[in-house]
Amino acid sequence: MRWEQKIERLAARAREERPPRVDVTNSVLQMLTAGPVQPLTVAERFWMWLAAASSAIAVPAAVAAFLLYARSTGPLNEIAEAISWAIQ
Amino acid sequence: MIDATFPLPGSAGIEALVLAMVRAMTQSTGVEGSDGSAASISSDVEDVRRSQQGDAEAYRRLVDRHQDHVARILWRFSRDRGVHEELVQDVFVEAYLGLSRYRGTAPFEHWLARIATRVGYRYWKERARQRRTEPFDVQEWDRVTQSEDASQTLEPDEAADVLHRVFEQLAPRDRLVLTLRYLEQCDVVETARRTGWTKTMVKVQTMRARNRLRKLLEHSPMELI
Repeated sequence: MRWEQKIERLAARAREERPPRVDVTNSVLQMLTAGPVQPLTVAERFWMWLAAASSAIAVPAAVAAFLLYARSTGPLNEIAEAISWAIQ
Repeated sequence: MIDATFPLPGSAGIEALVLAMVRAMTQSTGVEGSDGSAASISSDVEDVRRSQQGDAEAYRRLVDRHQDHVARILWRFSRDRGVHEELVQDVFVEAYLGLSRYRGTAPFEHWLARIATRVGYRYWKERARQRRTEPFDVQEWDRVTQSEDASQTLEPDEAADVLHRVFEQLAPRDRLVLTLRYLEQCDVVETARRTGWTKTMVKVQTMRARNRLRKLLEHSPMELI
């Protein structure tokens, strides 16, 4: 017997199984009325997206600012400044 | 005692109109669900509309009506009774939170089946990330499948347990597609609907999963004879 036939026979047998009965009605309604799983309001969504967008802009801006600062305080920049001062 | 109302899942104006139209269509055309009653679909549509307006009793009726169906689907995903019950709960909580997205174009139980599949798949992925897979001894596979009627002498829950542990050795994606194919008897279209994948992806994934399963089972000495 091929492996797939074996799987199919087992699956056919497994489909006859009766799953355990559950009763989640009360627990579901309790969870929904408890509050923490309530969907976000429009205002909350707005603030959430605003915070995410601000972070997305702030991180590259901080990186760019650091790079510019590092470039403007390097030894090459100091030599150039000294030369321009001497010329004046 | 639970309040008779709870917070609205979203704006219900247009959805209510759509649902009313669908209800009128199902009543006039006699469209039937898999459980065989147009009345059931009509009750679902009405209860969904009421639930969208915050009627807790309406949602209670929906949970009562569909929890056996959802429990049956999720029993394929976890055979631990505690986890199983939690997953069933998660499905109904998730369904309530997404109720405003239910358009009423398909029976409510089909929509729930899709959510149940997603919740079960997410549970498998979480378990796989935590590497909480139970090892499976291939000799056990040989024992239960060595003769043609061996699988028939097994009790249904034993057969389901063996298959569950065999499929557990595979990646969640493979496991999902094989579970839907062999245990839920879903065709390509139904699998695509339940998983949200394209039909092409379902076909490719099924082929890959079958190959991986074959390799896994061919490690068994009995298969090599």
